[in-house]
Amino acid sequence: MKIAWSTMLAAVVGTAVALLIPLQMDAQGRAGRGGKQQPKAGPFTRLPDGKPDMQGYWETANFFTAFDLETHEKAEFGVPAGKGVIIDPPDGRIPYQPWAAAKKKDLVEHHMFEDPQAHCYLSGVPRQMYTPFGFQILQPPGSVLLLYEAFHSYRIIPLDGRPHISEPIRLFEGDSRGHWEGDTLVVDVTNQNSDTWFDMAGNFHSDAIHVVERYTMVDANTIGYKATIDDAKVFTRPFTIAFDLVRNRDADYQQMEYACVEGEKDLQHYTESEGAKKK
Amino acid sequence: MNSKSLLLFALLTAPAWSQTRPAVPRLPDGTPDLQGIWEAHNTADANLEPHSAAAGIHAGEGVIVDPPDGRIPYQPWAADQQKENFTKRATADPVNRCFLPGVPRITYMHFPFQIFQTPKFVAITYEYVHASRTIHMNGTPHLDDIDFWMGDSRGHWEGDTLVVDVTDNNGETWLDSSGNFHSSAMHVVERYTRASPDTLRYEATIEDPKVFTKPWKIAMTLYRNTDKNAQLYEYECHVYREKQPEQSK
Repeated sequence: MKIAWSTMLAAVVGTAVALLIPLQMDAQGRAGRGGKQQPKAGPFTRLPDGKPDMQGYWETANFFTAFDLETHEKAEFGVPAGKGVIIDPPDGRIPYQPWAAAKKKDLVEHHMFEDPQAHCYLSGVPRQMYTPFGFQILQPPGSVLLLYEAFHSYRIIPLDGRPHISEPIRLFEGDSRGHWEGDTLVVDVTNQNSDTWFDMAGNFHSDAIHVVERYTMVDANTIGYKATIDDAKVFTRPFTIAFDLVRNRDADYQQMEYACVEGEKDLQHYTESEGAKKK
Repeated sequence: MNSKSLLLFALLTAPAWSQTRPAVPRLPDGTPDLQGIWEAHNTADANLEPHSAAAGIHAGEGVIVDPPDGRIPYQPWAADQQKENFTKRATADPVNRCFLPGVPRITYMHFPFQIFQTPKFVAITYEYVHASRTIHMNGTPHLDDIDFWMGDSRGHWEGDTLVVDVTDNNGETWLDSSGNFHSSAMHVVERYTRASPDTLRYEATIEDPKVFTKPWKIAMTLYRNTDKNAQLYEYECHVYREKQPEQSK
């Protein structure tokens, strides 16, 4: 199975044939992609403790987000055209400091093969949330657990009010602490390292990144996801992204194992490809 | 014994029984509470069999409880293969390439793991290379014709023991760093039992008709991390290897 999934990663990371992706996903029988009309879902259910039951398999409704957080007007190597998910600032652009805007430009022009995902690095938060191929939410006593198919990553979100880990400890997926504000799960994410990007368009951050995520059940099959991202070393102000997570309603759906390190052959293909050589 | 004296007998003996065996803590759904951060403290990852000390390896008795001689019942060709694996272990051990260790090896890597329970799923997340397993508790069958580094896990409760049936393993993982190995025909049945407030009894029966002459069994104690606010961190083996390759060899 690792071959099939890493082939898909090659499609995502290494080629500009964006159309290939929805086609392959349809071939896997996945629901909720390709702009299909969603039937109106009923109200969400609750767990015995009264909290919204968010358990199940979820994925972003807008696969373009994995390519670029910002609106991308014109398709080019590695990134198709598509609509961004930044709702604040109103212009939909990441508020880079001047040096950081220059660095992003340099990454796009000369260093796309350094995309951490192409090296099988964990994706970081929020990138893990919109990386194909979805994730499972479990709500065991005391925590919320997010199990992602991509890179078989996971995030443990304790709900017991414990403090964050010590400042010097740095993690790819950061350190998550959750609490409920009404029916919204609010997750505070700190202690990330600077080795992850936001997308395949060279958008980046430093180890000063602080993310506050908000998960709100809209109906039985939809979670409204919002993340406010602050990084005083890189941005002039915080910015916020928002998109819907949709439930995978395939009754037989099960998450597979995405073993990246074990089957990784994509990076070589990518750096040797014609598109990369032109850069 | 008539029914009244049977009842009396039960009432008299029950307190004595509960004193010797503390009640198993349970979750609201009645299942034993196995949640927490656990870790093995033994030399199983060095060698499942009894072994002497060597560079970086503590001597140990091994963890094989069946067969009674504590040795893996290899078929003759497989015994030769293990010897060759041992010789080449520095490069041939999949863990030395930062690959997923498979089941049961992930359990006794020297890294902690955390168990989570919901009515339909038990999840185990491991600090080592952020491996994770979703154990389906909803009676669904194994997948056909797909193999996984960490296998396909289906669980059920037998009394207070969590029993996990693991199939669909690939043939590319080892059982320890001494070259003990299996094929893709391996079938593992794990048993997790809460033995005391801070220990789990872990047993795994390993069967592989292509490699062994009969099934065999390992057993060990898993210890809870009782530190306040204990949690898992990350061990991203391949990243450190990529950034400092000369130190990883």
